[in-house]
Amino acid sequence: MAVSADDAASFREAVGDEEPAAAGDHVVPPMAVAAMVMGAAMEAVELPAGAVHTAQELEFGRPVDEGVMLACSATVVSNSVRRGTRFIVLEMRGDDGAETALRARSTIAIAGASE
Amino acid sequence: MSAPPASLAGVAHKVTQAQIAKYAEASGDRNPLHLDAEFAAATPFGRPVAHGMLVLAFASELLAHSFGRSWLCGGKLRARFRSPVYPGDVVTASGTLTAADAASATYRVAVRNQDGVDVITAEATVPLTP
Repeated sequence: MAVSADDAASFREAVGDEEPAAAGDHVVPPMAVAAMVMGAAMEAVELPAGAVHTAQELEFGRPVDEGVMLACSATVVSNSVRRGTRFIVLEMRGDDGAETALRARSTIAIAGASE
Repeated sequence: MSAPPASLAGVAHKVTQAQIAKYAEASGDRNPLHLDAEFAAATPFGRPVAHGMLVLAFASELLAHSFGRSWLCGGKLRARFRSPVYPGDVVTASGTLTAADAASATYRVAVRNQDGVDVITAEATVPLTP
């Protein structure tokens, strides 16, 4: 995936951050990279409607310029049920070929699960 | 770099349903919990809630504006989503320095709503580049 200039602008507008990018005019907001890497992973996992995000870890390795291609990968590292709620832990990465731009770990809760 | 600031103060953001819809489009996260009032009414939340990542973006914004490129080059954030944020809520991110050495600074970060409730708590570590 790549985050285009239009994608980055839409993200800035959505989060209300209209100031110039902290790291340069053509640098994608780091949370836009995170959202899009995670979006691709969540789509692959096919989470049900109503899944709730309970925790998030992020590590930014380097700035990502608009239009740069990122190879995204995701792994389900935990899938368990406690008291009727399923907890899924996903680890994700976005690599630009040379370096890891983003590492992320998401915990998602899905109510109404059976053991 | 000079000593890291003891505290970080962000700007207040009023979260609206229109903003949530924009975020859904921008991020691709169209979970009906955020967008569909009828669906959300049948959940424990009772009405649509903002995406956790939208609210977490306010914490990242605070750190990016405070530390610039350093935040994007090695910044780490560990966050818990504590309480839902509803359309109409006003949330503000802030940070308190908890540890620092020559290489990095660690902050306890909170995003609080208009009632003083922590909706997100987090620990952020920022590399301190010379």
